[in-house]
Amino acid sequence: MKPSTAKPLPARAHKSLSYIRRYWTLYLLLVLPIAYFIIFKYIPMTYIQIAFKKYSIVQSPWEMPWADNHGFEYFIKAFSNRDFRLALRNTLMLNFLDLLVGFPAPIILALILNELPYPKFKRLTQTVAYMPHFLSWIIISGMALQLLAPTSGLINIVLNRLGFKTIPFLNDPAHWVWTYVFLGVWQSCGWNTIVYLAAITAINPELYEAAEIDGAGRFRKIWHVTLPGLRPTIITLLILSLGRILGSEFDRPYALSNNLVKDVSSVISTYVYAHGIKGLQFSLTTAVGIFQSVVNVIFLFAANALAKKFGERGIW
Amino acid sequence: MKKTLPLVLVFVMVLSLLAGCGKSSITSGTSKTEQANASDNSSESTSSGEQELVDGRFTKTRKITVEVYDRGNEGGSKPEDNFYTDFIKEGVLRDHNIEVEFIPVPRWTEVDHLNNMLAAGEAPDICVTYSYPTIQAYANMGGVIDLAPYLEEYKPLLTNLWELLTDENIYYDQDPVTGTIWALEARLVRTQRINTFVREDWLKKLNMAEPTTLEEFENMLFAFKNNAKLLLGDDADKMIPFSISFDIGWRANNLLVSFVPDNVTDKELFIYGFDDRQIEWPGVKEGVRKLNEWYNAGLIWKDFALYKEGDTTEDNLIKAGYVGSFMHNWDYPYRDGENGIHGTLQRMIGPEAAFIAIDPFQNNAGKHKKVTSSTVDRKVFFPSTNKEPVASLLYLDWISKFENRKFLQIGEEGVTHEVLADGTIKLLSATGEKIMNSPNNLDYTITINGLELGDPSLTARSLALGYPGVDARYIERALYVGANDGFTPKKFNVGEIKAEEGMGQVLKEKRDVLLTKAVTCAPEEFDAVWERYFNDYLDAGGRAIQEERKLKFEQFYE
Repeated sequence: MKPSTAKPLPARAHKSLSYIRRYWTLYLLLVLPIAYFIIFKYIPMTYIQIAFKKYSIVQSPWEMPWADNHGFEYFIKAFSNRDFRLALRNTLMLNFLDLLVGFPAPIILALILNELPYPKFKRLTQTVAYMPHFLSWIIISGMALQLLAPTSGLINIVLNRLGFKTIPFLNDPAHWVWTYVFLGVWQSCGWNTIVYLAAITAINPELYEAAEIDGAGRFRKIWHVTLPGLRPTIITLLILSLGRILGSEFDRPYALSNNLVKDVSSVISTYVYAHGIKGLQFSLTTAVGIFQSVVNVIFLFAANALAKKFGERGIW
Repeated sequence: MKKTLPLVLVFVMVLSLLAGCGKSSITSGTSKTEQANASDNSSESTSSGEQELVDGRFTKTRKITVEVYDRGNEGGSKPEDNFYTDFIKEGVLRDHNIEVEFIPVPRWTEVDHLNNMLAAGEAPDICVTYSYPTIQAYANMGGVIDLAPYLEEYKPLLTNLWELLTDENIYYDQDPVTGTIWALEARLVRTQRINTFVREDWLKKLNMAEPTTLEEFENMLFAFKNNAKLLLGDDADKMIPFSISFDIGWRANNLLVSFVPDNVTDKELFIYGFDDRQIEWPGVKEGVRKLNEWYNAGLIWKDFALYKEGDTTEDNLIKAGYVGSFMHNWDYPYRDGENGIHGTLQRMIGPEAAFIAIDPFQNNAGKHKKVTSSTVDRKVFFPSTNKEPVASLLYLDWISKFENRKFLQIGEEGVTHEVLADGTIKLLSATGEKIMNSPNNLDYTITINGLELGDPSLTARSLALGYPGVDARYIERALYVGANDGFTPKKFNVGEIKAEEGMGQVLKEKRDVLLTKAVTCAPEEFDAVWERYFNDYLDAGGRAIQEERKLKFEQFYE
């Protein structure tokens, strides 16, 4: 190659270019994931316009006519619909309770597991705890019926035999909400613990030794060493959870719901299913989906900013 | 140069990938418009198709796809490929030179599947669903072929179809203003809908006569409850005098409708006729109040509301013999042979155990009025992606031909049926290759539902024998009771009701919530609960539908 006669590139650009040249194979590896995101994540986004157009099952989204009210017909329709507002309320309520109860649960479990003395027993406990993560909500709802139904559920049968009153776990709205939350904890707590346990192993053992020399007991060590060591992980996961505050899984509320608790169990995802997929109102439900995503992004940014303000690293 | 080459390669690769997917999205867009254009120009393609038809047979082989329900039944055969599909494929190819391919669609999620297939442009050429509003919604989006011009042009070729469906079913859904026909209504042979069943052996054990009034029925339920020890022994605590599911509107329909005043007008029935469980009809509320009384008296299965569509828990309770009575499809306990309710009871409890249909509920005029079905069944439509509407109509004609549908309904002699001395056809339950996945193969005879052998008395006798392992007298009784004083709300053809679009599922859920809440609440809360959830039903779209129905009725019929 002839030495270049052109003006030399600015130092930094030149540096990064040579960097790319040196590691081009790594960049080559990136091509597939990038293509994946473009094909499966970004191109489908063109269908977002369905929310602003009158949907037709046989037209491409580019050909569909615009909806009324400058394209916002379906947003207005959603927000003036009582079912949607109810679903919005329930989504917020259930997700907030999930956060309140479900978020600390794996931290506590990780701390407990970390204190277990016998490694074999610890490993066994951990395995048992994360197994439910692999059960689908359909199966869990079936189990819940077997265990919690008012007359045929095992727990209520036992309670009745012991002289207690039947607890309407699944057929009374207030009880149902807590059943929903605790089944969620039961299913995912052990799995979410894994991240925290991994973070704990990264804590420098010298810190524990130092604390011990200073006369710290078990709880002091948890409080002053383990928990501060977990803080970045907790903050990151909390930000991610807050980013999902208006998101909703479908399987869980759908599988656990029944006609007696629809007032509290109907969430945005089940609303979208009933109105959009079954009722063929795809424009309406795409509008709902966009609203959901926008709110989630706002929450995510807000949580991240807040974390940074309090001196944490945040997630970006 | 050596070093820049890989970079260039990577760049080209990314570009080609991008271009590739960009292109694919564009082509999928144009293919859809082409399809839409194709349906617009359908009249042209048919005129060219006409030349290729000689005596109803295409000179060049055509290909069509046909939707078939997949019921996923135990021990069944592949719905798209079995003895009966071979029979159809061979016959249609022979008679019309049309190649048929079956597309299986899960029976219980069919509408979801149809949505997906239509949106993807991959719907079968001949689609079948029970939901007309769904077809109307597709039609409004331009996704359905208007059958009216084809039916007019090809009527002479469709004699079998016409003979079976008659003008009544063919023009059933014709819009009174535009004249469009989006779907053909299949013929429903038996219009019995719902029966009330009680354990015949329990009545005998308790020395009770079959109840003939609501009061006697109620007394019977109390008698079951109070004699649980005698009837069930150690399982006495499992006694369920009356069983229903979350779908109360269906499962207590005969009771609810008996509360509708006799002088209700056709107009009222039409205006309040959106819901197929008759929830809006006058008087039904009082029927639900009766159920609420029963529930609070411990006569109804306590946990019914927790189980969803498709759950078999209730059926298992009935099969286990814990249930004294229930309402369901007119022949429900006798279906499914050995594994059905009747078969299981006989096997587990003994030959005396059986459910029998009774007719205790009378309206204020003393009539046993109950809703029976109109003669329409499934709705057959052609999506706009169908490029062979004529071939598809010929397929429907072939499937409607008496010999063909008769063979599909009764199968092979000696395998799926035997002919008795008097000519009566007795169905046998086959296994393996020639098993029928649906009763009388109704999934293949999409233009007719229900055994029909040409001669009504022969059909009736055969039908009573059509339930392997069930004494004919139970079927005869169920047939009689199910039709006794039955009435079908009159059909008024007012075209599309705009307010109904997309509301089916939403209102169905609201209706089920209303009924479940109203049955299970405390008696003193009943009125408040009814008020609250019924208003919710009306506010969510029920009222708008009623108002539009009233308007349309007055426009066309007054």
